[in-house]
Amino acid sequence: MQLLLNILILICLYSLIGFSFKIIYSALSSFVLDIAIILSIAPYITYTLVQTYPNFIFAILVTLICCISLSIFFYFILYNPLKKLKLENWQILLSSLGVYIILQNLISIIWGDSTLSFRTWEVKTGHLILGTYITDVQIITFISCVILLFFSWLFIEKTKIGQQIKVVSSNPKLSSYYGISVNKATMCSFALGSGLAACAGILIAADTDMTPTMGFNWLLYGVVAMIIGGMGKIRYLVLGALLLATAQHLSAYYLDSKWMNATAYIILIIFLFFKPYGFSGQKLKKQEL
Amino acid sequence: MDYILHLAILICIYTILAQSLSLVAGYSGQISLAQAGFYGIGAYTTALLSVNYGFPALATMPLAMLLSGLIAYIVSKVAVKTVDDYYIIITLGIQVVIFSILNNWQEVTRGPLGISGIPSFDLFGFEIDSKIVFLIVAVFFSGLIWFVLHQIASSPFGRVLRALSEDEVYTKSLGKNVGQYKIVSFTISGMFASIAGVLYANYINYIDPSSFTVDESIFILSIVIIGGMRNLKGIFFAAIFLVLLPEALRFVGMSSSISANMRQIIYGIALILVIYQMGVRKKNLTNRI
Repeated sequence: MQLLLNILILICLYSLIGFSFKIIYSALSSFVLDIAIILSIAPYITYTLVQTYPNFIFAILVTLICCISLSIFFYFILYNPLKKLKLENWQILLSSLGVYIILQNLISIIWGDSTLSFRTWEVKTGHLILGTYITDVQIITFISCVILLFFSWLFIEKTKIGQQIKVVSSNPKLSSYYGISVNKATMCSFALGSGLAACAGILIAADTDMTPTMGFNWLLYGVVAMIIGGMGKIRYLVLGALLLATAQHLSAYYLDSKWMNATAYIILIIFLFFKPYGFSGQKLKKQEL
Repeated sequence: MDYILHLAILICIYTILAQSLSLVAGYSGQISLAQAGFYGIGAYTTALLSVNYGFPALATMPLAMLLSGLIAYIVSKVAVKTVDDYYIIITLGIQVVIFSILNNWQEVTRGPLGISGIPSFDLFGFEIDSKIVFLIVAVFFSGLIWFVLHQIASSPFGRVLRALSEDEVYTKSLGKNVGQYKIVSFTISGMFASIAGVLYANYINYIDPSSFTVDESIFILSIVIIGGMRNLKGIFFAAIFLVLLPEALRFVGMSSSISANMRQIIYGIALILVIYQMGVRKKNLTNRI
């Protein structure tokens, strides 16, 4: 039972990260590591705010605003010009890697390399429900992940700007002929993606504390979940997250927890080899010719 | 004086690594992040063989090349199915898997403790323990690899690689087996990287998995990108620049804790600038046409 609960929490986090990555990926049509930066910088901003002014809601709101403006700033200063120069995807990925390296080291310089925690409450054993222990943080993580995913799904499907994001991601040139601002739609998807990632970062840090390099690992799990799930609907993403989380926990259970990392990538490699379009079967990548 | 020799040896090792990566990343246009993994395989092969079974160091070199060539062959068989940014992700996955095997398979590799007491090179009965002689050996190997890579690059094989990096479909239409060329270049690159690993292990006499992480791969890739993707001489100068950079920072008077971060920030910035420059050059080229 405890295993199932842990898997459930992981699924939530993976889906959230995978979704935020997918939004930016579909808008820009190339991998960027923006989410990794946001994931690690968001808890640090919250940490500083909580230290100076102990009010969590306020701190989280300010963090969200900071993260969203940071990623929009990077969109305008870096990705938009690079996209206009018609660079290839790997070049954009590598430039975002450069941004990641810079910001991650800035975090190390400012806050230090050691593990920090913004937990002000004391650690409790958690509630006993159906024979499993569940902590407050896990309950909050679960509920907020579900709410966030649901509302962002609603946002994409039901609002006008959400539809514009979808249109732009499927064909940017044609959509500009129909009077849809590509810039505005991409900006919105950056804002949405980084906002979700900031929430995910804070949730992760509330559970397992923070280090400057944590963003990269979590992002890669999200990416693996996305690739396994495929580029289709959000439920395939959740399915991918389910498979990934289950496999990781089973390997931790039968082998050792240190093999969790390797398991994720072995699954990724197997999927890219045998089923490159993921569960959904939608065309996600340019297959080898 | 000893320290200068040490830096010169490091420059030789990184030149080998980066130039062999250039065969994959530059000539055949497949950005790989698994180079440090093959470097690690080389280092661990020689360490395990010479510590456990008393093999002479030079005799382990062909074995290390064989082993990492074999692994590189299998890996590239998998990786060749993907293109562009998926190739980066899959090689990143392979790098993480290799690292976690080195780090976690404690019965064989002794995990994070590392392997100590690796004997130095011995050449026809003379043990090489002075740095200056080792430098000569390192220069010999890096010169040899530079020469071989130059020959490969200017051979018909290298021309096909260059063609396929420019336009894969077109190269295929000329009747070239594109996948086979990619696999062969990746295998050669992995074999050369393991030579660097053998040199490193016999020089430092102690290895642990932390020398073969993803960060190391990113560092090697940034040497290649900053040096110019297909420019072997440029890569050599970039290796000098990036290896000497921390020393320069220390000279300016930065404390060592910040200078490690500063160095990464500088190469992050360099990465972005170089990629931006690539875009500008590409735009100018298309304008001229």
